[in-house]
Amino acid sequence: MAAISPQSTFEGDIFSAPMVHTDSNLLSCIEPDYKPFIPGNSLRRMTRVLKIGLTTALKCIQDSGITTPGPIVTGTGKGSLQDTEKFIKEIAEYKETALNPTPFIQSTYNSVNGLIALQQKCTAYNNTFVHRGFSFENALLDSMMLLQEGASHTLTGAFEEITKEHFYIKSRIGFWKEQPTDSRALYTHFSPGTIAGEGATFFTLTGTPSSDSYAAITGFKMLYKPTAEKLSVALKDFTTAPDLIISGRNGDSTYEHYYETLDQCFQGIPQLPFKHLCGEYDTAGAFGLWLAGQMLKAQQIPQQWFPFSTEHLPANFNSILFYNHFYGEQHVMLKLERV
Amino acid sequence: MAERVFITGIGMITAIGDNVAGNLHHLRLQHSGLGYSQYIDTIYKDVLPVAEVKHASESLFPLAGIPVKEGYTRTTLLGLAAMREALQHAGITDVQSAPTGFINASTVGGMCDTEKLYFDIINPEKNGSFLQYIDTLDCADCTQRVADIVGFSEHIATISTACSSSANALMFGARMIKQGLLPRMVCGGTEALTRFTLNGFNSLKNVDKQFCRPFDQQRTGLNLGEGAAYLVLEGESFARANNSRILAELSGYCNTNEAFHPTSPSPDGDGAYEAMKMALAMSGHSLEEVSYINVHGTATLNNDVSEGKALERLFGENVPLFSSTKPFTGHTLAAAGAIEAIYSILAIQHGLIFPNLNFSERMEELNISPVTTLMEGYPVNHVISNSFGFGGNNASLVISKYEG
Amino acid sequence: MEELKKKLKEQIIEALNLQDTKPEDIDDNAALFGEGLGLDSIDSLELMVLLERQYHIKVEDPREGRKILQSVQSMAEFIQSKQPA
Repeated sequence: MAAISPQSTFEGDIFSAPMVHTDSNLLSCIEPDYKPFIPGNSLRRMTRVLKIGLTTALKCIQDSGITTPGPIVTGTGKGSLQDTEKFIKEIAEYKETALNPTPFIQSTYNSVNGLIALQQKCTAYNNTFVHRGFSFENALLDSMMLLQEGASHTLTGAFEEITKEHFYIKSRIGFWKEQPTDSRALYTHFSPGTIAGEGATFFTLTGTPSSDSYAAITGFKMLYKPTAEKLSVALKDFTTAPDLIISGRNGDSTYEHYYETLDQCFQGIPQLPFKHLCGEYDTAGAFGLWLAGQMLKAQQIPQQWFPFSTEHLPANFNSILFYNHFYGEQHVMLKLERV
Repeated sequence: MAERVFITGIGMITAIGDNVAGNLHHLRLQHSGLGYSQYIDTIYKDVLPVAEVKHASESLFPLAGIPVKEGYTRTTLLGLAAMREALQHAGITDVQSAPTGFINASTVGGMCDTEKLYFDIINPEKNGSFLQYIDTLDCADCTQRVADIVGFSEHIATISTACSSSANALMFGARMIKQGLLPRMVCGGTEALTRFTLNGFNSLKNVDKQFCRPFDQQRTGLNLGEGAAYLVLEGESFARANNSRILAELSGYCNTNEAFHPTSPSPDGDGAYEAMKMALAMSGHSLEEVSYINVHGTATLNNDVSEGKALERLFGENVPLFSSTKPFTGHTLAAAGAIEAIYSILAIQHGLIFPNLNFSERMEELNISPVTTLMEGYPVNHVISNSFGFGGNNASLVISKYEG
Repeated sequence: MEELKKKLKEQIIEALNLQDTKPEDIDDNAALFGEGLGLDSIDSLELMVLLERQYHIKVEDPREGRKILQSVQSMAEFIQSKQPA
């Protein structure tokens, strides 16, 4: 696994890294030095999310110790916003003449996948899903099918960026809180909207566990625009009594009722929300899964990231229920178990 | 043994027809859909040919089967029109009658409409109903609007791998059926012409000012097109129990990556070769059994060399009949794979080989030429349909005649 | 001519974001593509855009472009040939 996020997740020990917070309603990634990962000649044209995505993918491959490249499957809700914005503007500024092709090429949603394949000389299966809160999750489903079909491993991930301009655009349709909100106090500020975020997260998935495995995915369900009852039934059918719940709760009063359904279905089970760490974005679920994987393997919770959590957290946990939704439309539940 | 996957319904809209019958009619008449844009706001309106669907967006609403409303992009409307036909053709009046998934493909979402509003959207002083288009920019918007209108509530997804997007959507749907996740899937893609994409391909200097000439020595690039197409896929056991009318079988598919260059294929067509070879192997059919290849054939300098070389490498002296139908429809990007899959079915059903229009001179790099006249009464049993995209994403499908 | 070549080198470095390259590192006659500076086909499109934006010269044919963009020398000669005497 590997993650570039607004927290110190790329290098070092996450169990001691201090929590990064903001009151700007926008959590931006901590960017690493890309040079050890990407040759200078390739780096010069790449925009931010391409660098973030490619570097996370490469670090994930390093982390897995796997040297033969396999299928690459990713999800992204928005792709490279910087390049899309730039190309739209250059079309206007230069009146459709003398346009550099680079922003157009890089605005293509599968450009990060192409770069990973190119750098890894990987000619296997390659696919990119672009469906809001189901982008990463469809990549995950695709990868699990590939493993079923006989692939020994997959590189599966997600990447997303938020630009100032896109933050403003989404503020016009109520995506973000109107008042500046301290990210540490996200869950006590109930009002419409949440805080924005971004990040890249990659996983190596295999069909057979090893001593290096972080976690096993033992349950997975996606639900599109379910009613409250349908969600409740699905959650209850999905699992009984996990040791811990990781939830996508984000302080948005408009869609809080789905998380209340979760509370009702699993009363008394400790919950850790993660959006104060990474912000809300289409593929934030991948960050939540990464966090769960870290915790299951280390059998430890990065306490410094959850100062508000007064609940009694278990010392050992073997199973985690992950539940997240994106603006009430795409709902995802995953069951993770210790290997 | 995994389920076989059958095609039981098709629907489409392109520059040469508002439905499958319209498309077949103009394919037979060899009428190209290429011309000059009525609807894109661009300085290249009269310079760069495109294959545009012959309706203003307002008049697409009746075809989409919904009242005129803000927030519905041309991408969504084209998608809905094709979706309505595909479902009707498969005899599905209610998609909830059986668990049915929807895998859509799109390259730029609702850019066709948002690019006209973008500067208002980012201007705090502008306000108005255009704000309803804000969320239409991403690729999921068209998928969800189509899904919500026709009632898909099971699995939905949107794929974006440039020009191979809807071939990958078909593949993904077929795999979900084979894994037993869902018995029925509707897969395809939708694409509306945009100033964004036209300028994008033009900045790569691969748009032809003339009508595109695939596999011709004098070709200089592609022409863009728009349209949408969906195919209803059903697993064998479901199709039999449901007594579905089976049009053809999706017998093989393969996706490979070339890892050669961000936008160009390799000169020897490694990715295309591998994709066709593996897809055919999966179908269980031999090289000799392939009756026709609907090539990607964009008419860019690089694609046609690469794809042609791959054909020669795979088939040696006996390259099957092949043609690019892009001179009919333009290159419809995310919709191309699904449109050409339907053309492959039409070839099988009606014993037709479609001509590669605008061809006159064989490429110096190749020893093969495409079919240039309509062939009728030709037995077509197995067709390979190719879709190759940016980022080295190559997908080949094998579509076979249904023989029980 | 020398002035033009110096300016051209600076413009190339800026347009292609060649961060670790200085104008004096680029030899007038060194190949820009392949071995030399290691540029690729996308760079060649960007250099044609540079010619269009900075010098108002439009190169239509990619094959012609390849000849013009061989080196800084060939680019400078081409620019000079297109400018009114």
